[in-house]
Amino acid sequence: MIQHSLPASLAALSDIRRLVTQACQTAGLSEDATYRLALAVDEIATNIITHGYEEQGMTGDIVVSLDQTDKDLTVILEDTGVAFDPRAQSLPTAEDLDKPLDDREIGGLGIFLALAGVDRFDYQRSDNVNRNLFVMNLA
Amino acid sequence: MAFSANLEMTGSEARITLEGELDAAVADQFRQTVERAAQEKPQKLVLFMDKLQFMASAGLRVLVFAKQRMGRDVAIYVIGATGPVLNTMQMSGFHQAVYLQESYP
Repeated sequence: MIQHSLPASLAALSDIRRLVTQACQTAGLSEDATYRLALAVDEIATNIITHGYEEQGMTGDIVVSLDQTDKDLTVILEDTGVAFDPRAQSLPTAEDLDKPLDDREIGGLGIFLALAGVDRFDYQRSDNVNRNLFVMNLA
Repeated sequence: MAFSANLEMTGSEARITLEGELDAAVADQFRQTVERAAQEKPQKLVLFMDKLQFMASAGLRVLVFAKQRMGRDVAIYVIGATGPVLNTMQMSGFHQAVYLQESYP
């Protein structure tokens, strides 16, 4: 497993996407799957940085771990911001997604895109650490 | 690739060309460009996305902002969105809320 620690700031998002994209290319994932995983990680990292750290007046790091086996590619984001389980958030319904833009609520889309884009998502909280896990199956 | 959002007013149309990667770090740049366009009171907002390589939900939220800021009567056209950027718009239902075209006019 390869680990990278980055400061939890929005400026780090492009570096995080680059790390994920490189791991996907090494693993031989398709362009579509690569994009979906990079988007999922980007959306959850954005939540961690803005809601987990900045809105709390906290600073810290995000640790990105990358692990490839012959079956799948796993990305893990770890942070010490406030506890936040993306699976527990209310997501836009099919009815919400059909609404004209004038009537749209702004929010929930990022987590929706993240959870819909990966083959498996998991969240754990232990010892004051949030652990978001994303898995893409290899063909 | 660095993000850029360039506004050009053509008659009653606001044309914004987006390039690079649109994530939460740069979404405010796009939002400010939309705000400048809104001040010109355009009848149509045309977004050129053929050089946009990545768009997170922060970019979609600016589209919602654009519609709500400019009003119901201002149509939004998205030109040249392809591949995953188009998929993201389709997954979130935005393809029904804007006019998607391959080229313009």
